[in-house]
Amino acid sequence: MESLDLFAMRENYNRQQIMLCFNGPISRSLIEEIGNALRNYLAAEHAHPSAAMDVFAVYIEMTQNIRHYTRQKNWSDQEAGATVVVARDEHGRYVVSAGNLIEDADGDTLLAAIHELADLDKAQLKAMYKEQLRKPRDGQTASGAGLGLIDIARKSSEPLHASLQPVANGLSFISLSAVI
Amino acid sequence: MNDFTIPGSQSSPTIQSHWEDGVLSMQGDSYPENSYELFHQVFEWIERFLDETARPLRLELRLLYLNTSSIKAMMDIFDLLEAAYRDGKDVAVNWYYDRRNERVVELAEEFKEDCTFPFSILSHD
Repeated sequence: MESLDLFAMRENYNRQQIMLCFNGPISRSLIEEIGNALRNYLAAEHAHPSAAMDVFAVYIEMTQNIRHYTRQKNWSDQEAGATVVVARDEHGRYVVSAGNLIEDADGDTLLAAIHELADLDKAQLKAMYKEQLRKPRDGQTASGAGLGLIDIARKSSEPLHASLQPVANGLSFISLSAVI
Repeated sequence: MNDFTIPGSQSSPTIQSHWEDGVLSMQGDSYPENSYELFHQVFEWIERFLDETARPLRLELRLLYLNTSSIKAMMDIFDLLEAAYRDGKDVAVNWYYDRRNERVVELAEEFKEDCTFPFSILSHD
């Protein structure tokens, strides 16, 4: 086995201003625990309460979206993993990113929905959010522009960034990133 | 027994009902994965109260962060109050917030936009 260079990993995380990262199967309690750590870090950094709440909210929506999707697919723990990173960019803004495996067709739909959101201004996003809020629960599919995704877009200071990477066996890896 | 108490957790609010006083209160954060389970009991209690009594009903809220699934559940509750108000019932919401947390005000304001019944957003010190 290739030996782990923890020092190099640490240097990388520090250089990229990564506050917190996680890779692996994600459970409900893990989402809460990591969220708790995130809140503590943000408080320790004296983040503005509104910014801290937005970062936390985006983290929760992203990770719960992944949980809903993988549960809907009845995937094993291994397939149902998530990669989550909270970092700061060169301007000191918080960047919340999350990635997971997704069926190719769902990935295309999700990517299209994210690109659609990217063209909307704050007023249009609010209108779409309220419209989605009024839709019956059954009509909500994880691959559409769901409430969580619109909420993330509303809390972001830049259009959402997303990309899709083919993996194997009809699966791709979707990466979503939001700048708060 | 008409009343219930749900103890809060890290991701779910504390909820108490007071049938005699006509008050339902909720405090804390709400971001469970399945908010339907949590709010179902609240929804049913309010529905029954509005059905069985003609007394005023007050919601006393000190809610902080709500995930989108909790927001959807809260909207169902406010829709229920709105329908009762249009039927001539005395219903009201008081949402208390900490002055330092402007996101809570924005959240409450967005709910208020869709309600015509008395909906107060009040700072507490």
